[in-house]
Amino acid sequence: MPTLRPLRSALAALLFVSACATTQAPAPDSAPAQPPPAPEAPAPATPAPTAPLSTKGVTLPEATAVTLKNGVRLLLVEKHELPLVSFSAWLKGGAVTDPAGKEGLAALTAELLQKGAGSRNAQQFADAVDGVGGELEVVPGREALILNGSFQARDTALMVELLSDMLVRPRFDAKELEKARALRVSEIASAKDGDPRMLIGVYFNAFHFPSHPYGGSSVGSEASLPTIGRGDVLGWAKANLGADRLILSVVGDFDAKQLAAKLEAALGGWAPAGQPLPAVPATAPTKGRHVLLVDKPDATQTYFAIGNTGIRRTDPDRVVAELGNTVLGGRFTSLLNTELRVKTGLTYGARSSMQQALQPYTVVLTSYTQTATTGRAIDLALDVLSRYRQDGMDDAMLASAQAYVLGQFPPTLETGDQLAMKLSELAFYGLDAQDVNGFAGAVSAATRDGVRTVLQRVLPAPEDLTFVLIGKADALRDVARKYGPVTEMKISDKRFTPPTAPAR
Amino acid sequence: MSRPPLSWFACLALLGAPQAGAQAVPEPSAKPAAASTPAAKLGSDIQARTLKNGLTVIVWPDHDIPNVALANWFRVGSRNERPGITGLSHFFEHMMFNGAKKYGPGQFDRVMEANGGANNAFTSEDVTVYLDWFPSSALPLILDLEQDRLQSLAFDPKVIESERGVVYSERRSGVDNDNGGALQEQMQATAFVAHPYQIPVIGWPSDIESWRMEDLQRYFKTYYAPNNATLVIAGDVEPARVFEQVEATLGTIPSQPAPEPVRTQEPEQQGERRIVVKRLAQSPLLQVAYHGLSANDPDAETLELLGLILTHGDSSRLHRKLVDEARVAIRVRGTTAGGFDPTLTWFYVDLPPGGDLAKTEALLTSELARVAKDGVTDAELKKARNVALATFWRKLETNDGRARELGNAATFRGDWKALLDAPTRYEKVTLDGVKALAARIFNPDHRTVGWLVPTTDSATPVRQETAR
Repeated sequence: MPTLRPLRSALAALLFVSACATTQAPAPDSAPAQPPPAPEAPAPATPAPTAPLSTKGVTLPEATAVTLKNGVRLLLVEKHELPLVSFSAWLKGGAVTDPAGKEGLAALTAELLQKGAGSRNAQQFADAVDGVGGELEVVPGREALILNGSFQARDTALMVELLSDMLVRPRFDAKELEKARALRVSEIASAKDGDPRMLIGVYFNAFHFPSHPYGGSSVGSEASLPTIGRGDVLGWAKANLGADRLILSVVGDFDAKQLAAKLEAALGGWAPAGQPLPAVPATAPTKGRHVLLVDKPDATQTYFAIGNTGIRRTDPDRVVAELGNTVLGGRFTSLLNTELRVKTGLTYGARSSMQQALQPYTVVLTSYTQTATTGRAIDLALDVLSRYRQDGMDDAMLASAQAYVLGQFPPTLETGDQLAMKLSELAFYGLDAQDVNGFAGAVSAATRDGVRTVLQRVLPAPEDLTFVLIGKADALRDVARKYGPVTEMKISDKRFTPPTAPAR
Repeated sequence: MSRPPLSWFACLALLGAPQAGAQAVPEPSAKPAAASTPAAKLGSDIQARTLKNGLTVIVWPDHDIPNVALANWFRVGSRNERPGITGLSHFFEHMMFNGAKKYGPGQFDRVMEANGGANNAFTSEDVTVYLDWFPSSALPLILDLEQDRLQSLAFDPKVIESERGVVYSERRSGVDNDNGGALQEQMQATAFVAHPYQIPVIGWPSDIESWRMEDLQRYFKTYYAPNNATLVIAGDVEPARVFEQVEATLGTIPSQPAPEPVRTQEPEQQGERRIVVKRLAQSPLLQVAYHGLSANDPDAETLELLGLILTHGDSSRLHRKLVDEARVAIRVRGTTAGGFDPTLTWFYVDLPPGGDLAKTEALLTSELARVAKDGVTDAELKKARNVALATFWRKLETNDGRARELGNAATFRGDWKALLDAPTRYEKVTLDGVKALAARIFNPDHRTVGWLVPTTDSATPVRQETAR
């Protein structure tokens, strides 16, 4: 994928969807007139790599690590090729800290950090960032609020000032709060008018984790946002914004020693958060099948997500699991995309993803197809999943996946933005540079049996699945019922959770 | 494995960075940038060569990561189409992945991925671009794959028919969720009455259904010729070796007579045009498009900076007025990028559910009139220069960005060196220039206004540009 700088939209950030970097295209209205292949038809032969498998990966640059007396952790890497500087500030405690019914509180607070801070009101703050060609992005993550920025190197001092103002001296102006809240509500309504791929993950999490903080919508909902007042924001900030929560990585064209001194001067006096970071409760795969049908009456195609609880970011088998996921639904020639797009023309894209967090998060298959072929597409996806979970892959497929994963890895750590993000992310999860430096070795060492064993643990069993279907409910009820007990809601409902979730 | 659903131009709009622009007829080389500028220093290792068959090859070596980005630019897009064959350029983009002589159907992707590579492609009004990203050790194989499909693409009637279905469905896909695309298609078809920029990149439905084999073969022979392409390779390579390898592969493909130029020029618009599109929706949309500039227009950078002042970031004039102060809109975007010929300068405004289109349009119009009458401030011009410069540097941070930007400059300005001169060109933009251009472009008689009005019926959307 080309790296495209993400939209400065909380919604896009939340869903990890950059409008330009969406990796699927829409579904056909009519499948090409060709019979589906027999289920036992052998997969097309996988070509062997022609060049020797390169394990030459990338090495994470050595960072200057400084921990200030108040607990702020700094990670600095000099990169002088271009006159740019990038930072990634992670504040532990994101949407998981939202009180029930106040979903979106952490995200809204984060948004307000750039709507007036220090000596600048909201407009002056925007002028300061844009005026020097800076970029600032607030990502309201589930477990951390993330502030990413990119400035020209000559503006490093201003960057430090703006960042420390946001963290230490936000104004939380009442008028700005009211505007940001109203805008967020309109954005959610507008998103429901739009591409369901933007929202299906929110519905899936809400339905799959009904009584866990992982289930709340990070950006909130049309129901929760209007209940959030300035008192809530101030209370949240007092409890959760503080020096002991901050990991700050900076990468670019600067002198590390000088920048460390500047950052210490700017952030060294910041008080710790008022409350200790709440632990995230454990998660586990759910038992049985559960189906959520979200009615979008004008839909001509059905968007579906099928999955269960997956793995932690720190799972010792995470590299092997990712390799296995590549074969299942992580690339163009994956089993899912081959079956649902290339062979049958049921969809324009089918994929699987393993999202990881502090606790086991989700492993989900997603695709979409015209309303009439919903059942056929879901059956095929389930068939691919259960066969793959049972049989694993052959040697040629393993070799191809290893080459692909190794070949596509270095460009993920090419820019200052990417490196800053990675440094903070590793520190947040308590991982070290080996996560990057040992990646190629771990990929190369994977074996067929090893991958199969991990996948049997990580991929959901066919009888234990959460389904979410967004589409024309009138045409889908009978299909949905085939897969398990159905809970129904409307896309126009003001919450992302169904009025009554089935008991687990 | 993406076939990004948004147009290239829309992407640039979303990124708040209008694309640098364009030129149909290559000019003699511009003066190289003074080697003293940081940009020239950065690009000092770039080498370019035109092979005997007319293929231009540009190489930007950089050994930071053991990877390469390859972009092969063909000067063909919907601009080269006519009624009856609209959408053909985009169809070719699909066909280029469906098998050739040595690597049969599906093999292009399978072989590339088995060797660590990934790919994509996009089609616009002006160009079709094929992108590969791979470890540098795979370069010989990638060139073999590219040569196979460029030299001997398969025209299997069965594959054509099934791909016709795929493309047709692609046109109809997202019916319920691409209201912006539906409005944009109607806007473009209304704003241009003569020039083929009126044609949607994905093609009109009846044409998608009726291309013939001979249309395809003729089109392929005409436009998919080495003399109609620019190949850019950026990353962990040695230029001399790359030139040898390309010479031995793509260099053997025979050149073709130059394609017929696009002669039609859009006549001057004599008054505002208005359209309404009714679609099932909660949120109204407003689009306003003025006849703008071609990419190689001497005022291209002036227009780019003006566009940034109006729509880039929370401090931009239109965001501040429409979203922040009047609160009639939830999002404002704009694009100013030119093509081989003068394109449209667009404003896209998303309204909240129940939003007031008339009021929003009036505010937008008065803001544009204000900038035409009073110009912009010195601080705004400085800001726009800084944004453009920072964006320039950010784009050159990756091999992929370098391949795209070099290809863009070579294709649209006729000389890759124009890329490195961009910072200098931004410096030359003046306050008076911005004001004069605003007055010229934001002429109410030269605009098309589109409203998307929410209703209970649905229609069919389309995208300005579709990717594989």
